[in-house]
Amino acid sequence: MEYLIHLLILISIYAILGLSLDLVVGLTGLLSVTQAAFYGIGAYTTAILLTNLNINFFLSIIFGMIIAGVSGLVIGLVLSKFKGDYYALGSFGFNVIVYTILLNWQSLTGGPLGIPGISRPNLFTFSFSNNLSFLILSIVIFLIIFGIYYFISKSSFGRVLRAIREDEEVISVFGYHTLWFKMSIFVIGAMLASVAGSLFASYITFVDPSSFTLTESIFVLSIIILGGLANRRGAIIGAVCLVLLPEILRFVGFPSEIAAQIRQAAYGLILILLMLYRPQGLVGEYKF
Amino acid sequence: MNSMDIVPQLILNSIIAGAIYTMIALGFNLIYGTTKFFDLGYGSFIAIGGYSVLFFYRTLGFNLYISIPLGIFIAGLVGFVVYRLIYSTLRSRKSSNMVLLVASLGVLTTIQAIIAIFFTSQFHVLSLKNSSNPISIFGGVITQTQLVTFILGIAVMVLIATVFRCSLFGKTIKAIGDDEEVSRIVGINTNNIIGWVFFIGSAIGGLAGILIGFDTGVEPMMGLSFLLKGMVASIIGGIGNVYGSVLGAFLLAFIENFGIWKISGEWKDAVAFSVLIVFLLFRPQGVLKR
Repeated sequence: MEYLIHLLILISIYAILGLSLDLVVGLTGLLSVTQAAFYGIGAYTTAILLTNLNINFFLSIIFGMIIAGVSGLVIGLVLSKFKGDYYALGSFGFNVIVYTILLNWQSLTGGPLGIPGISRPNLFTFSFSNNLSFLILSIVIFLIIFGIYYFISKSSFGRVLRAIREDEEVISVFGYHTLWFKMSIFVIGAMLASVAGSLFASYITFVDPSSFTLTESIFVLSIIILGGLANRRGAIIGAVCLVLLPEILRFVGFPSEIAAQIRQAAYGLILILLMLYRPQGLVGEYKF
Repeated sequence: MNSMDIVPQLILNSIIAGAIYTMIALGFNLIYGTTKFFDLGYGSFIAIGGYSVLFFYRTLGFNLYISIPLGIFIAGLVGFVVYRLIYSTLRSRKSSNMVLLVASLGVLTTIQAIIAIFFTSQFHVLSLKNSSNPISIFGGVITQTQLVTFILGIAVMVLIATVFRCSLFGKTIKAIGDDEEVSRIVGINTNNIIGWVFFIGSAIGGLAGILIGFDTGVEPMMGLSFLLKGMVASIIGGIGNVYGSVLGAFLLAFIENFGIWKISGEWKDAVAFSVLIVFLLFRPQGVLKR
């Protein structure tokens, strides 16, 4: 039971990440591979505020969102100058830069050793210290973000984003300032990813830079590509499949070192096979 | 030690790193210039070169001079097979560059993981002797491996420049790079030629991987980091231009090595990417245009 709760918490965290990235990649068609950077910013903000200043967890989410939003603004502004492949490459770069900062800003982030002893969230007098209550909290947060995603994708704002994805030039001829739209969605995506990071830090009670590498961004990208881009169910289906996959491998009985690598190989193969046979993913509405 | 004494060594380090980046950038550039998509799988071909030599030379105990050509050949072969199985299918379907990029990301992830399954993710050193006599030049020190690396880097550059300039094959590649459709119409077997380009490009990457293996060592994830360096080098030098790649590689190496003079070495990757982003913003065509 405890194990099942653990998996469900992970699934909701990755589903949040998937939704946040899908806003950028699926809805707007910008191939960003830097989501782990914002995820990391959220996680580290919560970790630092909770361990050093003893601030309330929910307040730390807000701070995380602000910091991720500002970083997203800067990164998004630079990336908005690029198109297609170069956009993806530039976003790689920002992931590496943020990772390097987390790894080397020893006085703030604790360097490669990370930050241990992060407390679980408290709300008034109630503590989310057991995993079931934490699961409920993460599901509630997931549902809020799901609602935001749904609202954006149905709104006129979302329709403009889709139009940018299909043909940016045409929509700008109609008088829409596409830069503003692309920036807004990138910042929103960054802020939502940071919420997932806050949850992750508080759940694991420990953060270190290795959770926020380029590989993690690729993993989140695989989630939404597998599930299907621009579809609200896509991120959830993808998160369920890819979080459960390594657990199945573990039950088959591979040693953990090998299982971790088989998992990586499986992610890679999934990407190749999807691109070859089903580029829109399982339930996607958009393919590159 | 006076901080100025370190300058000759920094210059030497930059030159050696530049030679390695040159090879990686040239292989990458060859593939990109012909097919116009970022092949991230190229990173894993670098690792395959290094690991093939690890397998033949260290595990099976083959002669060094048989192991190295075998390693280069296998890296090329894997590049060729990946092209034929995956990229060629996608390209004939007119898939967008995004699809190819994601598929190549899949290739990179898969091959890295397979290498880690067979050889563990530990660091391995290729050379048997741990101290080849260091040579001192101009107040700095380099190893024999590094000297060989430098010479080979220059040799690969000269070779590629000559092939492009003088041979029919080079001209054909250029033609495909300029316009694949028209090349096909005038009777060039583009699929075949691009297959060769992948073989040669990956083989050059493999050679770089082998030299890195002898200089510092191999680990499954090495490909990604060196691939990104090669990409950065070819972009800042001017993508699709042979001399541009070389210039970009040395420029990147010097910026990296001097950039970390005052700050710690872990910032190297961040420095490299900052350079890339600055170039993409202010001079996206690179130092030398195609």
